[in-house]
Amino acid sequence: MSSESEPLQNGSQGGAAPNPFNFQTQVISTTPVKSNVGQRRGHRYKHSSVSAQHQIFQEPPPRPPPVLPASLPTPTIKEAWKSLQRDQRMRLYWGMCHVAIAIFIFYRSGGSLAAMALSHLVFFDAGSAAVCVVVDVLGNFEVWRRSSIRHPFGLERAEILAGFAMSIFLLFGGFDLLSHNLKHILESVGNHEAHHEHEHDRISTGSLDLVSAAAIASTLVSAYGLKNHARIAKVMRVSYLSTLPSILSNPFHFLTLFFSALISLLPLLSISLYDWLDRLICAVISLAMFSLGMRVAVAQGLMLLMSYGGNKGDVGVTAVLREIESESGIARVDGAQFWQVHYGLCMANLKVIITNGLDELALGKLRNRISALIQNRLGEGYGTGGNVRWEVTLETTVDATI
Amino acid sequence: MAASYSLPSSALPHAHRVHTQSQPASLNAWRMTVSSESLPSALEDDEDQGHDHDHDHDHDHDHDHNYDHSRSHSHSHLRSQAYSIPPPLPSPSHLHAHSFSFPRHGRSGSQTSNASYTEKPSIGGTGSWSQARRNRYTPEVIDESAHDHDHDHDHNHDHSHSHSQSHSHSPAHSHSHSNGHSHDHSHSHHHGHDHTHEAGHDHSPKRSLFTRTILPYTVGWPILYSIIAEKDSRRIFYFMSLNFGFMIIQAFYGYVTDSLGLLSDSIHMFFDCVALLVGLLAAVLSKWPKSQRFPYGFGKVETLSGFANGILLMLLSVEIAFEAFERLWEGTQTKRLGELFVVSSLGLAVNLVGMMAFGHHHHGHDHGHGHSHGHSHGEKHDHGCSSHSDHNHNHGHGHDHDNENMRGIYLHVLADTLGSVSVIVSTVLTSFWGWAGWDPLASCFIAGLIFLSAQPLVFSSAKRLLLTVPEGVEYNLRNILAGIGQQRGVVSYATPKFWMDDFGGNQLLGVVHVTVARGAALEETKDRVREYLLKEGIDAVIQVERDGDNGCWCTRGRAPTNPPQMSKQF
Repeated sequence: MSSESEPLQNGSQGGAAPNPFNFQTQVISTTPVKSNVGQRRGHRYKHSSVSAQHQIFQEPPPRPPPVLPASLPTPTIKEAWKSLQRDQRMRLYWGMCHVAIAIFIFYRSGGSLAAMALSHLVFFDAGSAAVCVVVDVLGNFEVWRRSSIRHPFGLERAEILAGFAMSIFLLFGGFDLLSHNLKHILESVGNHEAHHEHEHDRISTGSLDLVSAAAIASTLVSAYGLKNHARIAKVMRVSYLSTLPSILSNPFHFLTLFFSALISLLPLLSISLYDWLDRLICAVISLAMFSLGMRVAVAQGLMLLMSYGGNKGDVGVTAVLREIESESGIARVDGAQFWQVHYGLCMANLKVIITNGLDELALGKLRNRISALIQNRLGEGYGTGGNVRWEVTLETTVDATI
Repeated sequence: MAASYSLPSSALPHAHRVHTQSQPASLNAWRMTVSSESLPSALEDDEDQGHDHDHDHDHDHDHDHNYDHSRSHSHSHLRSQAYSIPPPLPSPSHLHAHSFSFPRHGRSGSQTSNASYTEKPSIGGTGSWSQARRNRYTPEVIDESAHDHDHDHDHNHDHSHSHSQSHSHSPAHSHSHSNGHSHDHSHSHHHGHDHTHEAGHDHSPKRSLFTRTILPYTVGWPILYSIIAEKDSRRIFYFMSLNFGFMIIQAFYGYVTDSLGLLSDSIHMFFDCVALLVGLLAAVLSKWPKSQRFPYGFGKVETLSGFANGILLMLLSVEIAFEAFERLWEGTQTKRLGELFVVSSLGLAVNLVGMMAFGHHHHGHDHGHGHSHGHSHGEKHDHGCSSHSDHNHNHGHGHDHDNENMRGIYLHVLADTLGSVSVIVSTVLTSFWGWAGWDPLASCFIAGLIFLSAQPLVFSSAKRLLLTVPEGVEYNLRNILAGIGQQRGVVSYATPKFWMDDFGGNQLLGVVHVTVARGAALEETKDRVREYLLKEGIDAVIQVERDGDNGCWCTRGRAPTNPPQMSKQF
């Protein structure tokens, strides 16, 4: 009773404010709390005793709880922001800095075509860095990795998609630079007045040096701090660069570092040579962007098309299939689908016909043998550090022809 | 919806169908359950309109089909038997299912695919209609006037077809299908809605005189022939040729007259041509068959190309905006207004041609493809079809998912057209008022428009490339998966991963690992699950494991113990 009197007092104390609860009715509770719970009869309610006597309300058959969640919540920006850990936040800030540097280079590159081309490269780097950061942050969430019905492979494929979009940017940038270059040449050939009117004064030595220094610094920080381009580079190895030391073996870093170093040397040259070299560097950068973009687009596009283009590609798959067919107990391989889902996951779905005499124990061993075989042959090896996981599914059918 | 939950979900196909149809499925998509790919399309039209006019007859017909379908599933491998069975009487459960679907359809009248339904009053008397229909008949069917006969025919076809299709996904097959549809198309253009069967499979009747004349000459070059023979690629090809020709003329003229505007515009044209070339490549590639390298075929190529085009447009719009700001900042005067005006008007003319070509197509395709998916789906497995029809109709933009490639190209051409218009308007304004700011302002506006129009394309294609299962399908999939656990001998299942297949029809493909109880045969359980999934429209690779055998990788993610109540008696 004392507990009931407390709210009553509270109510009278706060009487100045309109109280939605009518505490006066508490007096009623002096009578026993027995209410009309048991008195509502009728078979409108499934759990009433009347309903239990007939079969109108049937329970649905018991179903096992679903193995997978139907969908996991996709994080909003707010949630993502909240989930940031300290170093992730630092990385995020750095990603913003990288973008800012790219914009800075773009606006400082007014006079020099080469510097403008460089700014495109830095834009690409900044974009990739941003993708790296976003991927890192999204990794905090379950929806990213865990498979659900909605997203059978999690959201990790989104990174491939972002990479593909970035490769489109490379292609577009290459085209854009080429057309700029072409226009410049046309202008200078066509009429000289327009050319000179358009062209600003040759930019000062300090400006170009600053631009290239900023480019080099931001590239290095992103390369070491964010591991920028690391995963893309793994998918597409450029053989003639692989002998170079660590960062330079990555074609993207190589391009940026190489050309910014080259551009910092530009102001040392004479004016006529400068003009000529400026255009040349721009053309080379745009061609490099174009060819690199093409390779990236193909590498990522293969994944998006659900193909396996990795390690040894089709040849490797054929060899593995031949080996599987030669396993004892397997009559033939009826269908095989090898494909790469995202950077870290591949799937092998096999349908094999097994010979009649195989017992269950042998079947289990065969399955383990085959998945070990696929993982060893097509997984990215041991030393290289890249670990692609193969999820092998083996459907076995007993050979009916014998 | 609530009712569907409380239904006892037995393994009976009837119950399942009732269940799935209780979802908002439109009649049209549902009809696809019954109709077949291989039957002459005129028949389909007949059916289509039969729905409109003759309800009794309709009922009959549908029941036949429904029943036979379910039957064909239970004996899915006995083709001859399916042929010999006379159409049985409709059972009450079918009646129920049927009457259910009608009001649903009537309610969801906003969908495009329902146009056939809403349009029916515009068709005149039955007599004139049947006359018109008879004119459209293909020779084999022309003597059949009795409806019942039609349906028998139709349904038989259905059987054989579904059977073969579910086993072989050969591209040759889909080709023959497209031929079957050719007839339909010619008229479907006249009825707004009946783009249904257009679906990228139209043939001879639609071809223009020009195509017909040049087609024989292209036989020598298979690639060129395949481009010309398909409608999508043909349109892209023609427009690309037009663009390219115009570019050459422009570049030549610009070079001769030393005009910068013309030259830079021809560079722009060249980029357009490249984008079109990519689209053309995608359209041709998408017809390629599956291979070891591409185990799921090239169905995603067009989506990929659409995605690329959308991203490209976004980048372009950003660049345009950047440049416009720069010009506004520097106050660059636009010069040679007259020349600019002429060039952009010419560009506008070319792009308008493209707009007409792709715009019309785009429209028709949008409506059509949704159907065609439901359609081809339907004949593989009718249960899955209803799940697919959900996909089409649950989403307002479900039918937009179809051909991202064409949509991307259309948007690209649209963007160019807008660009030309903006230049024309700004030159006119500049010549009147002489303020240099018109051009950048118009550019900014257009850039915004382009960006916004590219956005939905990018999102929808991204979803598809991420292998996301659409909402409506997801709902059904959940129920289907729960049904796996109910199969005899199944203890549990693990790592179900399913995604939409867009090669041929929109079937679900995937992988599932099934744990089999001790005492049940592995092979039989696998066959049971396989049959069940096939019936529901899922072509899965099923790995069976003995309960307690934790050797597979899939056990890592699984709960440590299986609750005892899950195992069933057998």
